Amino acid sequence: MSTVTAGGVSTGAERPAATRSRPRPGYGRFVLELVMIAAAVVFLFPVYALVTLSLKSPSQIADSPLKPPTSPTFHNFGNAWSSASLGSALLNSAVITALSLVLLVVIGSTGAYYLARCVRGLGYSLYVLFLLGIILPFQLGMIPLYKLVDDLGWLGTYQGMILFYTGIQMPFTVFLYTGFIRALPSDYAQAALIDGCNHRQAFTRIVFPLLRPITGTVIILNAVFIWNDFFTPLLYLGGSGKETVPVAVFSFVGQYVSDYGLVFAGLVLAALPILVVFLLLQRYVIKGFAGGLKG
Amino acid sequence: MKAPRIAGTRLGRRDPTVPPWLFVVPALVVYAFVVLYPSIAGVVYAFTDWSGIGSFSFVGLDNFHTLLHDDRALASVGNTLLLTVAIVVVQNAIGLLLALGVNTNIRSKALLRVVFFAPAVVSPVMVAFLWKYVYNPENGAGLNGILGAVGLGGLRQDWLGNPSLTLWSVAGMVVWQYAGYSMVIFLAGLQGVPAELHEAARIDGAGAWQRFRYVTWPLLAPALTINLMLSTIGGLKLFDQVYAATDGGPGTSSETLSTVLYKEAFVYGKFGYSTAVALVLALFVAAVSLIQLRYLRAREVTA
Amino acid sequence: MSTGSRSLPGRGTVSRRGLLRVGGGVVAATALPSLLTACGGGGSGGKVRIVGVADEQKPITQLLAAYRKSHPDFKASTSFAPTDDVQTVVRTQLAGGNAPDIHVLYPGSGSAMSMVELAKAGLLADLSDMAWTKTIPKSFDAAYRRDGKTYLYSAGSSIIGAIYNKKVFADAGVKPPTTWSELLDVCATLKAKGIIPIALGAQTPWVTQLITYALVPNAVYAKDPTFDDEMAAGRATFADSGWADAMGKYLDLQKRGFFNDHPDGTTYEQQTSMVATGKAAMAVQVSSVLSVFRAAAKNPDDLSMFPFPGGDDPAQLWIPAGIVVGLGVSARAKNATKARQFIEFLGTQENLNAWTTAVSAIPLQRDSTTKLDPALSEFLPIIDADRAVPFMDQRWPNAEVQPAHFAAVQDLLAGKTDVKGALTQMDKAYGKKS
Repeated sequence: MSTVTAGGVSTGAERPAATRSRPRPGYGRFVLELVMIAAAVVFLFPVYALVTLSLKSPSQIADSPLKPPTSPTFHNFGNAWSSASLGSALLNSAVITALSLVLLVVIGSTGAYYLARCVRGLGYSLYVLFLLGIILPFQLGMIPLYKLVDDLGWLGTYQGMILFYTGIQMPFTVFLYTGFIRALPSDYAQAALIDGCNHRQAFTRIVFPLLRPITGTVIILNAVFIWNDFFTPLLYLGGSGKETVPVAVFSFVGQYVSDYGLVFAGLVLAALPILVVFLLLQRYVIKGFAGGLKG
Repeated sequence: MKAPRIAGTRLGRRDPTVPPWLFVVPALVVYAFVVLYPSIAGVVYAFTDWSGIGSFSFVGLDNFHTLLHDDRALASVGNTLLLTVAIVVVQNAIGLLLALGVNTNIRSKALLRVVFFAPAVVSPVMVAFLWKYVYNPENGAGLNGILGAVGLGGLRQDWLGNPSLTLWSVAGMVVWQYAGYSMVIFLAGLQGVPAELHEAARIDGAGAWQRFRYVTWPLLAPALTINLMLSTIGGLKLFDQVYAATDGGPGTSSETLSTVLYKEAFVYGKFGYSTAVALVLALFVAAVSLIQLRYLRAREVTA
Repeated sequence: MSTGSRSLPGRGTVSRRGLLRVGGGVVAATALPSLLTACGGGGSGGKVRIVGVADEQKPITQLLAAYRKSHPDFKASTSFAPTDDVQTVVRTQLAGGNAPDIHVLYPGSGSAMSMVELAKAGLLADLSDMAWTKTIPKSFDAAYRRDGKTYLYSAGSSIIGAIYNKKVFADAGVKPPTTWSELLDVCATLKAKGIIPIALGAQTPWVTQLITYALVPNAVYAKDPTFDDEMAAGRATFADSGWADAMGKYLDLQKRGFFNDHPDGTTYEQQTSMVATGKAAMAVQVSSVLSVFRAAAKNPDDLSMFPFPGGDDPAQLWIPAGIVVGLGVSARAKNATKARQFIEFLGTQENLNAWTTAVSAIPLQRDSTTKLDPALSEFLPIIDADRAVPFMDQRWPNAEVQPAHFAAVQDLLAGKTDVKGALTQMDKAYGKKS
């Protein structure tokens, strides 16, 4: 990154090792890199706006909202941490998100494995049934589901939220997994079955490891949804002391009066864990691929 | 070569590897409990005059008749479709280009992936709020300020206030937020393209475009199916961003089916009617999606 | 294609067992926490559950802390969120039979969480036996009471007027106007000096209504105090009333160039910063946002308020004063007694003062202990002379008129409709059954 200056051209040329598989190293790659970095600047602009706003007082925001902060204040971050109980909110969000993800990956991938291998009759009908879950407006089942969770006595609990997310994101998860498992050669599993594995073993030992790239995708995309979801945790967890980050942060957004410094700071802090998870995941995903298809 | 073997599998050769249906039961149970059963139970309200609180009576198909003459709801259908087409085309095109770009061996690829995905991590309501700063209509502020600074002052706009532009401003915001999302799905697909295939094609003398067209593109089919379906459904159901950015305004110029649905249910207190609108929306989305799915799946097989 | 594997019995049973093992693990994992809560389930009993909008967070949190000092065993759980989300949450909880003990409630009628709407459905507890309700003036009846019973707790009223930048006014050599023609002169002077006379953030829907609300009291209620009853009886319409004059004046301000460019694309936040930084001289706003304008300014004391003159006789100026968003006790509150005691506590003079101070409003009752924001002092004589009118929507029969008003004003500012067209849209919405 840091070498993308005038000197960057020579730096690119000096590194033939990295490009040994390419017949024409250097110039084309360098241009591509510049183009991609230019695109990144465009993508970063509103992120920059978020961070900038989080470092300003209300009067500094009013004066020039998007100019770089001349005297950045970290007051907002301290305020977000104490007023919005962000520490415990982060913990609540982490517990709910992590456990929902485990269930989604385990249940979703096994379900999708069947749907991907059985593409007619029952399999196709079930596939379409799951697809319906992505299509249905959330509002349709909102009140009956609320009553159901209330009847279970699970309002204001982690497991109520985990059940909700596992169910509501199951169609999406199954949809992602099915698409990719169908593109996967079935030979590996077949060989395993011939070698005496049962279906569960074939799935856990052979198929699931091959699904690493898509599992990474499933995890990160579901994580983003669950982490940011605001309405259901407000409805199910409001006042319970188990509020998630968005519920804690958005309680400061009023019609007339909003503490935006606090809100922006809270959102910056909330976005960081997800970005770190993504960064870690994509390394794992890439490694997983390199090791996965060699077999 | 591996490609024919992969294609052969997908063509549905008799396959003894189909696992027993019990594999799908846990997923089905959770899904039925959280989504299917409540949704079916909720359909009842479409045939009532329920306000959302208190008692109600059944009114048969009255709500559906009302919908046929509801100018506001009908006008929003056009907006919904325009928004969806714009998002599906632009978001996926950009997402694919980004994915191809960061799937090369450029040095900043790991960081760039995070940067492109970062907007998707921020909550949609806050994204809308931030973009209101970007879309400030003043000459020296936000996007207009940047346009002015780079000599494109003539392109300055009243982004959210001009009724014929608002919808596209919202689309721009959504594309910005979710292009990285599409990228991630495309990336998962690209990582399933074995490097040996590219190598073999290169040795056969294929250029970059030919390698993309005949090696990468066919193998991206599952990722493309997923992305197109998700963005279509997402576009048709789009709510948070529109509601937070414009609330359907100015006037009613950016009203979508989802904002109408929400307002009927929770602002106007016409829950029964809004459920009828929701049902029609669901049928509409289902029809579009199934046609799309049939086409895309057929394409996956023949690609 | 899928039948192949089922013909191999051995394989099928093994994987079923395996799957059950996996499945059993999942069931155990989800069931275990539920057992744990079943044991500790009684913990939330006796806690008064309060759900409010974010704008109420400051006074409620403050007064809860005060209440706990005298009632150390009082336990409450609070939840605050943006207005739209709270409305949706509370309505869902009411529909789901799990009402909070105390929840947000809007005065009068005209919104989905308004007193009339919920009282009609039998969802509110009658608060009439509380001491503080005896002091509610007759003119506020429609906001607090339905069929003679009080259902709403609200600490007082906020007024709509012009929030202005004193420094900008002084630099331009102008004083707060007291008549409509003076206002036009002041605006013209400011404009000639390159200052935006009136900042308007009509991109934010609720801001669109404020100028109409500021003008309608003089244009309508000064002439016909019973206008709301006439409307309700179907003997009057928006289009053929003083509303047309008010809307005409609104539009006239735009035609004269007294607003910022592109008001439909300008947000409330941008409006705030224009006035706070002195780019604009004033904004027609609710007194509740004074603190926001002040926080945005380098010198908070630069900002004050004056009554926005809708008419030409300063001695006969009418203003809008709306009851601020308050609280109701659910008819099915699980902790009804405790909830009522807390509301009773909120009704004392000291606490009316505390609540209204937190939101820059005027308390329901004033006495020697009441310390008002000096910016509001010019409004008091008008209120005491009974020339204050509730915000118009608080008497509208359904929740569709207000959004129709927002849309009409935006269309008007965008040049997509005229005054007649805008008011006809509102009349159409008014005619719908709630």
